Amino acid sequence: QVSELVQFLLVKDQKKIPIKRTDMLKNVIREYRDAYAEIVDRAGRTLQQVFGLRLVEIDTKRHTYILINNLPRAEGEYLCRDKEKEKMGLLLVILSFIFMKGNSVKDSESSPKPPPMPHFSFAPPPLTPLFPGALWEFLNLLRVYPGKQHRVFGDVRKLVTDEFVRQKYLENTPIPLTDPPEFKYQWGPRAEKETSKKDVLNFVAKIQGKDPTFWASQYSEAEATP
Amino acid sequence: ENREAMLNSKSNRLTEALEEANRLFDGVCRAREAALDAQFLVIASNIGKEKASELHSEMSAFDSTAFAEDLLTFMGINRTEVEETDDSEDAPGGFLPSDAWQTMGEEATKYFRRAPTFHYMMGSFKSEPPVPKQRIERQKKASRGKAERAMPAQLKKMEESHQEATEKEVERILRILQTHFENDPNTPISFFDFVIDPNSFARTVENMFHVSFLIRDGLAKIKLDEDELPIIEPTKLSGRGDKDNRAGARNQVVISLDQKEWK
Repeated sequence: QVSELVQFLLVKDQKKIPIKRTDMLKNVIREYRDAYAEIVDRAGRTLQQVFGLRLVEIDTKRHTYILINNLPRAEGEYLCRDKEKEKMGLLLVILSFIFMKGNSVKDSESSPKPPPMPHFSFAPPPLTPLFPGALWEFLNLLRVYPGKQHRVFGDVRKLVTDEFVRQKYLENTPIPLTDPPEFKYQWGPRAEKETSKKDVLNFVAKIQGKDPTFWASQYSEAEATP
Repeated sequence: ENREAMLNSKSNRLTEALEEANRLFDGVCRAREAALDAQFLVIASNIGKEKASELHSEMSAFDSTAFAEDLLTFMGINRTEVEETDDSEDAPGGFLPSDAWQTMGEEATKYFRRAPTFHYMMGSFKSEPPVPKQRIERQKKASRGKAERAMPAQLKKMEESHQEATEKEVERILRILQTHFENDPNTPISFFDFVIDPNSFARTVENMFHVSFLIRDGLAKIKLDEDELPIIEPTKLSGRGDKDNRAGARNQVVISLDQKEWK
């Protein structure tokens, strides 16, 4: 049972979509439900000892799991297909942006100007915002456009709002009481497990040729988060 | 409405809005209006929070435009060439090479503890969670596959042709053994005489390897003779051959032979 579960988890992990406990029960454990906890436990140990992978529960309510790498990052060759690498590149850029901007950024693409609400009257000169606080405007600077087919990423919008979100690298949540609803992006639970604010800050520092302490509040936040 | 206007850190619009709401509230006497007022407070506080966080980042001076420029530099942008194309990299200010995101990805993988995606090296199976029966077979293939993971990718192709060659060799050796025994049924062959090739150590090892298949499948057996040296003979396959073999002792033996001994 244990080795079946190990194999099941390894295969399910290919798409990087979190694995549900119900699927594990249905496809592998079946009759042995009572021993469920023990089986999962042993599977976790096997994964760790044989493959150097950690089985982590990222949602304790819905009981979903992911596999992450337990081994320290080896210098040099990382066995990874090109497509995967490029996506990780984009992802890291996005995660860095979100963190440096205070852990949450707006999905600017999805907020057209709302119709005026009758109860509050303001006299607005409409500002045309270049909103560096918003995700897509930042990506535009990198020649990545949500509406446009990208040479490397194809439908980038889909990649970001669909794939990354389903894999739990990003979270896209509505901002309350906005009408039409606006959304914000934050780190998802997989991102929190697979990397850290500290790592990401180091990345930004490396790119910009500065010391991580240059950004004082981000630095102290990164130090404070394990 | 006008959320963006309020977010501008230089603007006092939020404060103004709050003040106006306060004034209006005095005139409120119906529940619906109170509800609207409550709604307004929620929105206002959200905006307030956003403003505060914008201020926060400004304090630590994160300049996203500069960050973007530095990222482009890292990805190898060529700022001197003027690009004259249709293409997606349309912005002025440089030409982004096609491996730009490769470069970025190469760096990025260092920052993630991502589990490598699991693929069978022998790659012939579909990876869907299968019907129970198939799973048992897959187990065996999987464990074989895992053991070979350390091998470099090129060997994949060679392995497959080797399998057939092995079987042919095994059959050939069995036939030789059987022929010898037909001619001379009472003299078992010395194991070493049988496997050693005086001209090639490698061949000797190969012969031992093939013989081991015969033993495993019960087609031949090895015994010790009076001098405690191993001899080999084919097993007689009578009608109930299989049963007999199972009754016989099956032992595992490890034979080691190095070049010095062989010489």
